[in-house]
Amino acid sequence: MLDRPEASQQVLVVETVGNQQLDRTHEVIYAISDPMIAHVDHEGMVSPRSEGTTQLLIRRGAEQVAITVAVTGFVEPTPVSFQFEVQPILTKTRCNSGGCHGKAEGQNGFKLSLFGFDNESDYDALVKETRGRRVNFSNPDSSLVLLKGSAHVPHGGGLKIARDSPRYDLLRRWIREGAPFNSPADHPVTRIEVEPSELVMQLGTTQQLRVTALDTSGRRQCVTAAAEYISNAPQIITTTESGLMHATDIPGEAAILVRYLDQISVCRITLPQSNPSLIRPLERNFIDKHVGDKLVRLGIPPSEPIDDSVFLRRVSLDTIGTLPTAVEARKFLTDTDPNKRSRLIDDLLARPEYADYWTMKWADVLRTDKLKITPQGTVGMTRWLRAKIAVNQPFDQFATEILLAQGPIQSESPAGFFKSLDTPEVAARSISQLFLGVRIECAQCHHHPSEKWSQDDYAGLVGFFTGVSVKKLPNGTDAIVARAGSDQKHPRTGEPVKARALGAAAADFTGMSDRRQAFAKWMTSSENLFFARAIVNRIWSHYFGRGMVNPIDDMRATNPSSNEPLINALVAHMKDRNYDLKAFTKTLLVSQTYQLSVEVNDGNKNDNQNFSHALPKAMPAEVLLDAVCQVTNVPEKFNGWPDGFRSIQVWDNRMPSYFFRIFGRPVRASVCECERSNEPSISQALHLLNSPEIQEKISHKRGTARHLADSSLSDDEILDEIFLGTVSRFPTIKERAVLRQAFETAGTDRRSAVEDVFWSVLNTKEFLYNQ
Amino acid sequence: MLNIPFGPSCGRYCDGLSRRQMLRLGSTGLFGGLSLPQLLMAQDSPATPRSAKATSCIFIFLEGGPPQQDMWDPKPDAPAEIRGPFQTIPTKTPGVFFSEHCRECAKISDKFTVVRSHSHADNGHSTGYYYVMTGRKPTFPDGENPIPTNDVFPSLGAFVGKELGTNGRVPAYINMPHPMSAGGPGFLGAEYAPFVIEADPSQPDFEVKDLGRVNGLSNGRVELRQKLLAGLEQERRRIGRAAAMSTYYSKAYSLISSPEARKAFHIQSEPINVRESYGMTQIGQCALLGRRMIEAGCRFVGIDAPGWDVHFNCFPSLSGDLIPPADRAFSALITDLDQRGLLDSTLVVMMGEMGRTPRINAQAGRDHWSMAQCILFAGGGVKSGQIIGATDAQAAAPISDPVSIPDLLRTIHTLMGIDSSKEYPDPLGRPVPIVNGGKLIPGLIA
Repeated sequence: MLDRPEASQQVLVVETVGNQQLDRTHEVIYAISDPMIAHVDHEGMVSPRSEGTTQLLIRRGAEQVAITVAVTGFVEPTPVSFQFEVQPILTKTRCNSGGCHGKAEGQNGFKLSLFGFDNESDYDALVKETRGRRVNFSNPDSSLVLLKGSAHVPHGGGLKIARDSPRYDLLRRWIREGAPFNSPADHPVTRIEVEPSELVMQLGTTQQLRVTALDTSGRRQCVTAAAEYISNAPQIITTTESGLMHATDIPGEAAILVRYLDQISVCRITLPQSNPSLIRPLERNFIDKHVGDKLVRLGIPPSEPIDDSVFLRRVSLDTIGTLPTAVEARKFLTDTDPNKRSRLIDDLLARPEYADYWTMKWADVLRTDKLKITPQGTVGMTRWLRAKIAVNQPFDQFATEILLAQGPIQSESPAGFFKSLDTPEVAARSISQLFLGVRIECAQCHHHPSEKWSQDDYAGLVGFFTGVSVKKLPNGTDAIVARAGSDQKHPRTGEPVKARALGAAAADFTGMSDRRQAFAKWMTSSENLFFARAIVNRIWSHYFGRGMVNPIDDMRATNPSSNEPLINALVAHMKDRNYDLKAFTKTLLVSQTYQLSVEVNDGNKNDNQNFSHALPKAMPAEVLLDAVCQVTNVPEKFNGWPDGFRSIQVWDNRMPSYFFRIFGRPVRASVCECERSNEPSISQALHLLNSPEIQEKISHKRGTARHLADSSLSDDEILDEIFLGTVSRFPTIKERAVLRQAFETAGTDRRSAVEDVFWSVLNTKEFLYNQ
Repeated sequence: MLNIPFGPSCGRYCDGLSRRQMLRLGSTGLFGGLSLPQLLMAQDSPATPRSAKATSCIFIFLEGGPPQQDMWDPKPDAPAEIRGPFQTIPTKTPGVFFSEHCRECAKISDKFTVVRSHSHADNGHSTGYYYVMTGRKPTFPDGENPIPTNDVFPSLGAFVGKELGTNGRVPAYINMPHPMSAGGPGFLGAEYAPFVIEADPSQPDFEVKDLGRVNGLSNGRVELRQKLLAGLEQERRRIGRAAAMSTYYSKAYSLISSPEARKAFHIQSEPINVRESYGMTQIGQCALLGRRMIEAGCRFVGIDAPGWDVHFNCFPSLSGDLIPPADRAFSALITDLDQRGLLDSTLVVMMGEMGRTPRINAQAGRDHWSMAQCILFAGGGVKSGQIIGATDAQAAAPISDPVSIPDLLRTIHTLMGIDSSKEYPDPLGRPVPIVNGGKLIPGLIA
């Protein structure tokens, strides 16, 4: 059914072979029995030519199918509507994108709202401004929107709307009809359907999508040509503008976001390995079951399990940000208790360094910045964090205390967080990102293009934080005070929007002096869909090097997790353990999935999201410096600090340090963990290879190398000690042979030989990364 | 009139399936589908053929705010409390006058162009610096911001380094003689941080950090260490970041071991008459070292020349320590590049974060004034010998062709053949262009 001149209908041709559905849309031969009535192209897109009824013939080999095509609305077409028909053209052709007219200041005087979220102002811009130039009723073809769009006059954006295209025709008819905002036939689109919505594709094949819009009148309209397609994993699946998906040769999963007007839908694709493996990791707990299910579905084999030394080093660096000593390594490696890994996890979670390390991590994302909240405030907040983490305060309580913080920022409290957040708006979006994993910031200015949150949702959330302010105390310092807040005004209309949490009803503040209480209650309630999921994914990402949802603070339907049953099971587990983070952590660490190697095999080398192997992790700047200090036995001297403090204990985020700077310590300017850089650089390599600082630690007269060289240990025993202290294992026979050259080179004394060996091991990637 | 200077850029930013779209959903990480090795490959590949003339840029930043009316925009007819004590001198360009302390530049005024109408509204040092280097309004209050690596938005130099990649053995983006406080890589990450030469090349013992021979290590030991390390690494396969780090190790080692790279940093091997022509000052020798870096393949040299925040008794220091060294460094650099045939391919820019108040204050100084500043441009496809824009009688505000910071940044990128509307995902996954808008400075590009 084609009910207007510019309509089009995508045909999907599917062949069923066994239990597989194969897309033949682009392989069959199409014909129309009466070409005066309709036209079909070789991609299966049918468009009308005049009113009437005809047959669409589809032939593949000897098989033929005929489908009736009815064309109506050609003689007296339904008037074109700006908001429902013109707006999708401006979006599809990217006129209103952020690089063109959609950016805040527009482009060359013509400004549209980003992705067309504001119909009224876009209508004004197109029709009312420079009246008669952008749209010309008397001579539609001389309208600037058509002249520029078709690149008939020079257009910075080039050709967007070809002269003979249905889009051009639709725009021209709309202008001829007087360019109305509404059409009498306007019915809001209530949802879009994408076909297929879930499928398994084979490597290197294609699949056509079809998108149908449903409106309030029940009308179904094919919008395949007008919708937009965005792949979340273009290395796995790419799409064309007309909705044709191409599978690459990399197995995995992808989601295609389909957008039309303000509706979104998703098509999920699984691309299994061509020679599927049925190997699963050993099942130690439910994590391994869900990971195994997924790997078998994709046909990806897991990597081998790790040995004791890799486990010891990995789990120590991950939990306490601290390298095992040679003594600890030797003890663990020679321990014959079959339960020793589990025992080690318990021991590590009880160590004071656990609190030091996680205090540092939370201080980063809670923006504990000396310049912003004063040195005293930074100390106060750091001490508060450490105390809470040391006693393993349940995370829901921990988050609630942060959310409700008030009082002097220089006290031992999290009040400084709200000082860093400046305004209710910054508070709302930072807290949303940090504790809910939802980036609502974009919705301040426009409807999020791939998300359901609108400016209403944004203003509703801000309404919880409008009562918070910074008060100057008589002694010149600041305090956070919470007064009765008010509803936040809508960023565009200026109307107050009732405070409400994401996806929740308007909040009830009866009996509350601080609106944040209602928010905290909502956030930590058992029905909340975001809170537990966000912390589960955050902790997972720390230990596995990547979130199930990635980036960790960008959760939305269009950025799905890589293993939904797994994340759901972990959320249930987190709630079951009452937000006991240490207990939850132990569950992660005892899993076989955590204990897989970083070494990949042919079947999983391309997999980076299904946890078929471990990912090597860069050590944070502080952890790496502590590691270098520990193995050389030469502590770092921090200006103004007593001896013996480790980098992970230093609260001063602005302390000048060349090492910290080049290794990417964050300045705590945002609540995003991504602020901490873990990318390598040439300065880092130069510093490790060739700096006087590292050489001084290696050759220090009270350092490890000198101590070993002057001892009565044999060369081989020295190698043992160096390897145990740095990479938690004994050297291999080959490594011994390589390193023995240092002792055997003519003219070198034992001290310099040991230094050279030490330097070499310190510069291996095995030492520099947490593998 | 078209504001977009070259065709291909349009295709890239308005195209149906742009990079931006592919990156938006972000489930494959901050940098979408590009893995680090791919990014590295992109960096390693030779620069694509470009029509732009400038292949590198030397950016001299007069930190603190140079006084426009005491240097390049004198107002001899203004009252004494505005005019200041300096005389005005003619230049090689008829009808163009500079202050008397810009005499070296006056002699070669046909070789560069002064934009007198730069103007913005941020009167802070660290915020103004950030605004100039990133084109983004700062989100932090003015004040100390000494650790630049992770500031949120990437700087001009980080983008140029990323877009063009090194053209030789030295890093693509270099700062000297200390980090530019707003010159960090922002969300591009440490990989695109400047390689910082943290030493003053005018000092006799000048040496680049971590590049010289470590004390007490003989050649034999350095080689032995490399042999041991290579032996240890031989056995292992690396994936992800660890693999990328291996690449940086070989780059770093080639920097240390390549005589060509080492020689580039060895400013002491420059003939004494050349060194003296730049002036034996920090800014002079930085300019000279900058030229050596460009010759060795660097794309963007950021020179931070501090000391221009002259609130008190400013004229003795301006006429003694500040203006003449900058005047000499700039003129020597332009002349030297010209003689070596490098001026066409090297863009040279000199400016600060702001200008200074028209009226001399009660302490005989000038205060912050971001409403008017002069920018010097030379080489790299710039049409030289011009004055662009003008200020009012007090050098207080532009009266023609006002030039904003986005205009400045867009112009620099365009001169270097970089599409300034190219988008990158910010930490929130939103597509942000390298420069948000801006127009080309009218008449500047030859």
